[in-house]
Amino acid sequence: MCMKVTDAGVLRVNLSKGTFVEESVGEDMYKMYLGGRGMAAKLLSDEIDPAIDALSPDNKLIFANGLLSGTSAPTGGRYMVITKSPLTGTIASSNSGGIFGAVMRRTGYLMIVIEGRSSKPVYISINDNTVEIKDAVHLWGLGTAAATDKILQEFGEKRASVSCIGPAGEKLSKIACIINDKHRAAGRSGVGAVMGSKNLKAIVVKGSNPIESEEKDQFSAYAKEKTKMLKENAVTGEGLPALGTKVLDSIINQSGLYPTRNFQFATFEDTEEVSGEALVAKGYLKSNKACFGCPIACGRYTVLPGGREGEGPEYESGWAFGADCGVNDLIAITEANFICNDLGLDTISTGTTIAAAMEMYEKGYIKKEDLQNGPEMKFGSSEAVVYYTRMTGMREGFGDLLAEGSYRLGEHFGHPELSMSVKKQELPAYDPRGVQGHGLSYATSNRGGCHVRGYLISPEILGSPEKLDPQELTGKPQWVKTFQDLTAVIDSAGLCLFSSFALGLQDYTDLINGATGFSMTAEEVLTIGERIWNLERDFNLKAGISPVTDSLPERFLEPIPDGPQKGAVSHVQQLLPEYYSLRGWNKDGTIPKGKLKQLGLENAKVVLVRKTG
Amino acid sequence: MIRVRFFTILRLLVKRADVILDRRGISVRDLLDDAQRAVPVPFLHKVLDDEGKMKRGTLILVNGRHVQHLDGLDTIIEDGDEVSLFPPGGGG
Repeated sequence: MCMKVTDAGVLRVNLSKGTFVEESVGEDMYKMYLGGRGMAAKLLSDEIDPAIDALSPDNKLIFANGLLSGTSAPTGGRYMVITKSPLTGTIASSNSGGIFGAVMRRTGYLMIVIEGRSSKPVYISINDNTVEIKDAVHLWGLGTAAATDKILQEFGEKRASVSCIGPAGEKLSKIACIINDKHRAAGRSGVGAVMGSKNLKAIVVKGSNPIESEEKDQFSAYAKEKTKMLKENAVTGEGLPALGTKVLDSIINQSGLYPTRNFQFATFEDTEEVSGEALVAKGYLKSNKACFGCPIACGRYTVLPGGREGEGPEYESGWAFGADCGVNDLIAITEANFICNDLGLDTISTGTTIAAAMEMYEKGYIKKEDLQNGPEMKFGSSEAVVYYTRMTGMREGFGDLLAEGSYRLGEHFGHPELSMSVKKQELPAYDPRGVQGHGLSYATSNRGGCHVRGYLISPEILGSPEKLDPQELTGKPQWVKTFQDLTAVIDSAGLCLFSSFALGLQDYTDLINGATGFSMTAEEVLTIGERIWNLERDFNLKAGISPVTDSLPERFLEPIPDGPQKGAVSHVQQLLPEYYSLRGWNKDGTIPKGKLKQLGLENAKVVLVRKTG
Repeated sequence: MIRVRFFTILRLLVKRADVILDRRGISVRDLLDDAQRAVPVPFLHKVLDDEGKMKRGTLILVNGRHVQHLDGLDTIIEDGDEVSLFPPGGGG
């Protein structure tokens, strides 16, 4: 049976009671929020008190497809996990690819809302509209690969897909992720710990209902046109397929923005040993791999000497365990990535937390006896990176402290200033001192330290859609606002952010209108993004996240000591007033009621309608 | 001596990491032509369009600074400088 794009339902599972109900989403919700990140943020805001403990049964965990997830729109294989983050205390929305989202969409559910806490480990099995809550005691403790194999075996159907946690999520590590299809991660903000707190090991899905667009011929023509644009673009048609995201190692290092040894330096002397080019030259890269419906295929499939194989490393992961830890051993870096995937850890936060620990150890704040017989925490030690990644995932020995993330680790040893984080979430692989707009994007991200809420690296370094001077301040707040709003649209549409190297706002508007039969203008679509951004900000303010946290670590007020950007410092505080003004916010960073009203956010809570029959 | 470095898919194409040229006081435009003559595999089409302008998203860095924020292809390169070439790339 074919389903219209706006026909999907919501499955609400209460794990405390062991019950579930099906609900439907009104068309207005699509017009206001599209789906995915936006729609789930609205549900979460309406249904939980933002001030609750993220690991309490009162928190909700939402698996949400975007509007176009599972359709023939190119890159339409993305889904998101939305919840309150135990790492940051902000709203969390972590994005993942693979096939899970598209398969889930074909069950007929746009979203799965998980409530409460099971008294024992369980997993949720969804075969079209047959839903079961199954015992997972025998799966508890397994890595994500073994758990996935076991669940698929029990499920007994081909073309099913599993999203699950590993030991890190079970043990409530604040940097635990959720892994689907064994290798793809809803990585950031500790969403895996929320799943673990609910005693939920996994969700397995299989669906057989294709999605049909409202304007079938028009949508099909748009999908073909945008696919062609992606294939013909030099970034999405050539660079990303050939070298994956690790195409960036050399670009960012040569540009003097490649954080090294916990952001103490901005160039890494051994980049040639660990770059995307090296992954090819050393023969570890075996093939590229695509998510559902993606013509780019930027995923890496690697095989290490000795036979260990898997997906990765991506640019951010490779950097976190590489340059940020001063490690030049590509095998150890890839091994650490594989361990994260299996134990269910966010690679960025794990590598960056180890880097912070290395600096604290070398400065004498962490003593040898603190390491509980583990190897020395010295920059450059590939042994330490692999060992402590595993210990973090298992929360054993010193890994129990690392599993709390770098900020809490720093607090424990009296030096939180050595955590390179914003709102307690670790920063990714670009030194903000060398890219002023990107620094503002870090400081104002609604989920803390993050590069995919407004990727200003694209114009400031990569020259897309046009080249901006990375040190220029004029105009940057407007660029950041536009990128943040557009990204919220792309995420909520269920498309990959990488599509934006080739596509623009009008292209996304075409796909959205073609799929739904709506006739929105590009401006109206961008306003959806602005609405989502304000909704998330409003959640964070109600959660007690002060605008004072729209800032960067003190380190970035000190000049970069090396490389092409030597002497650069961050000017975020100078940019913030204009950014707040462009957003229509108060001078203190709060949102005036009039702004919420203008965006339709003062409305009563949305009540989903229970489906009958 | 000027070191011209090839990165990302350019390196896969020309199968070498760099070429060293004995030049000074030369524009980026002329340096690229000289580098092409020193390398048997055609590569200029990856960074320049048919009119000889930089393709959108191409990065040509002189000592880590994008030539677009210097004098573009007319930027003068001196002895000891390092020029890094990247076709359009992205990720994150």
